[in-house]
Amino acid sequence: MNLDFTPEEEAFRERARTWLAENLPSEDRPAMGQPMREFDLAWQRTLFEGGWAGINWPVEFGGQGLSDIQQMIWYEEFAKADPPFSLNNSCTFVGNNHGGPTLIACGSDDQKATHLPRILRGEAVWCQGFSEPGAGSDLASLSCRAEIDGDELIVTGQKIWTSYADVADYQELLVRTDPQAPKHKGISWVICDMRTPGIDIRPIETMAHTTDFAEVFYDEVRIPLSNVVGQLNDGWRVAMSTLSFERGTAFMADQVELAKVVENLIHEARTRTGADGKRPVIADDELARRLANCRAEVAALRAMTIAGISRTRRSGIPGPEASMIRLFHGELHQRVYRLALDVIGADAFRLTGVDGDGVWTGPYLQSFAYTIGGGTTDIQRNIVAERVLGLPRVK
Amino acid sequence: MDLLPTPEQEEIIESIRSVLADHHTIGEPASDTLWQAAAAQGWFGLGVPEASGGVGYSVVEEALLAIELGRVAVPGPFLGTILAAHTADATIRESVIGGTSPVALAEAEGDEGGLRVFDATDGGLALRLDDHSLVRLTGLSDEPSLDPLIRLSLSSGEAVASGLDPRRTSVLIAGVLAGIAAAVAEQSVSYGKDREQFGVPIGSFQAIKHRCADMAVRAEAATTQVHYAALALRDATTDADFHVEAAAVIAARAAIDNAEINIQNHGGIGFTLEHSAHRYVTRARVLAAVAGGLRRHQVDLLAANL
Repeated sequence: MNLDFTPEEEAFRERARTWLAENLPSEDRPAMGQPMREFDLAWQRTLFEGGWAGINWPVEFGGQGLSDIQQMIWYEEFAKADPPFSLNNSCTFVGNNHGGPTLIACGSDDQKATHLPRILRGEAVWCQGFSEPGAGSDLASLSCRAEIDGDELIVTGQKIWTSYADVADYQELLVRTDPQAPKHKGISWVICDMRTPGIDIRPIETMAHTTDFAEVFYDEVRIPLSNVVGQLNDGWRVAMSTLSFERGTAFMADQVELAKVVENLIHEARTRTGADGKRPVIADDELARRLANCRAEVAALRAMTIAGISRTRRSGIPGPEASMIRLFHGELHQRVYRLALDVIGADAFRLTGVDGDGVWTGPYLQSFAYTIGGGTTDIQRNIVAERVLGLPRVK
Repeated sequence: MDLLPTPEQEEIIESIRSVLADHHTIGEPASDTLWQAAAAQGWFGLGVPEASGGVGYSVVEEALLAIELGRVAVPGPFLGTILAAHTADATIRESVIGGTSPVALAEAEGDEGGLRVFDATDGGLALRLDDHSLVRLTGLSDEPSLDPLIRLSLSSGEAVASGLDPRRTSVLIAGVLAGIAAAVAEQSVSYGKDREQFGVPIGSFQAIKHRCADMAVRAEAATTQVHYAALALRDATTDADFHVEAAAVIAARAAIDNAEINIQNHGGIGFTLEHSAHRYVTRARVLAAVAGGLRRHQVDLLAANL
């Protein structure tokens, strides 16, 4: 057990800090559509040119081959640099944290050579196509159908809750390739080109008033069989490898940002006048204690993340304990913004965007997604109880 | 940067566990054989430098010991003794490390200079949690104790030494509380696997399963933050105060929440005196309330520099 950073890690932090100070964009991120896509891709290109793309991706696939600790240092320095946008909301998130890592783990040489450089260089946006109207928590019951026709799959069906579908180039798509097999055994993970004829994207407006959410319809969409990642009908295993990345480091950026949000919120509570019109908000004992609790919890979240990295370093892959971090993080994120609405008084009436400095109501509305997306916290609790604690599975 | 115990620290934990298993049963009063074994193993001087007569480890290993003491709700003045071993007074230090001067925990009671004492021995020493001094106790009178395995007394005390580090006290109390949070999480999980109703283990029901998952997360958060805080204190980092207070806040809440929910998970048996579940509730309540308790730690945490 130690809190020491190696000289390389310290040097890395120094380099990151200097580079970020010189290269961070100062303009606000456009809220939607092509301008937003261009902004996110431009930032990814800047990262790539600066040698910061794919920090913990292996060198042979164009990454920097650095450690998860260095990835964490990067996020910490990014948050400290006061960026005008959040990494977690970027439309490059799926490529960097789901699609890319899945191809590294399970993709063919051709798939890696085609897609990984484009993700890193900021030339392609990826989106996810997992959930369906009838397959949410019970993802393995998905029914979007893919029939083999020569060297192609013909996909017909529907996906839902796809962020950035309207600006994406590719989709990580789960389809049913064997309807006779048991539900986990007949699924394939395919790369779907979002410009293929037969794809219809319909935006879904969220309660946070964002419009990057969508449902996607597939009407005899032809996808080359060579786009199947891993083996045909082995898509569940491939999908689980994606989710293990998600439980590992994908949400580290948000965890680091959350620590800063809590500090900002404490500052708000000290500088705003409270309900009595005289004393600052923080003089309210209940709010002060909740603020202290959140401060303690983000500290513990960071400690858990480091313990998780330590564990991964010893065993090679993120263990199921990482699902405890997911669960803790999602609920803490939500708790922080609930508290924010109680702290900011009359500013709680004014709707803001979900991104940027000193905005609270937009992120509050957005925070409801944190206990639903990527597996609801109810499912996360099942995973912790069954895979970490060994409690009996529900049938 | 690594937050898992080293192989040497794993051995220390194993050795502590085996001593506790040999000499202690949860719910039994403090035993002399455990006290003597603890002294012989060097527990009371675990974090004291060798030059001062200790074993030469640090507050990190002391925190690992505190977690183990919490896990089995050990009765007796262990915490005060481990903390008092850091006194600059060489004579007191020697007898404390040797186990011949057990040290209770105490804090002010009323306005007249009286003390409330936990685990006092007649004529013995106590560590004052309010001014971090060591006092010799006189005129003990016992009170009914919420945790019957902690002797609760009113007393007077005469200062004999001062200058102990309150942050070490906070980390070790947080360690005991994190140990309680982890132990009751395991107790609930184990009961959830064994106890059957409606023909299946109750741990297959989401009502129980989800409570167990939450308990495990709270225990993990508390334990990991205690580890981090102990390391920060050992290394005297600039944010050590912050991490110590964060550990105190998160461990107190985790211990109380988990210990109380553990009773519910056990149903009728959890409400009995015979079952150990209530031992953790009362131990957590006492340790989370001493020296101003959770509330003071919350205030201090908000004031701490990051």
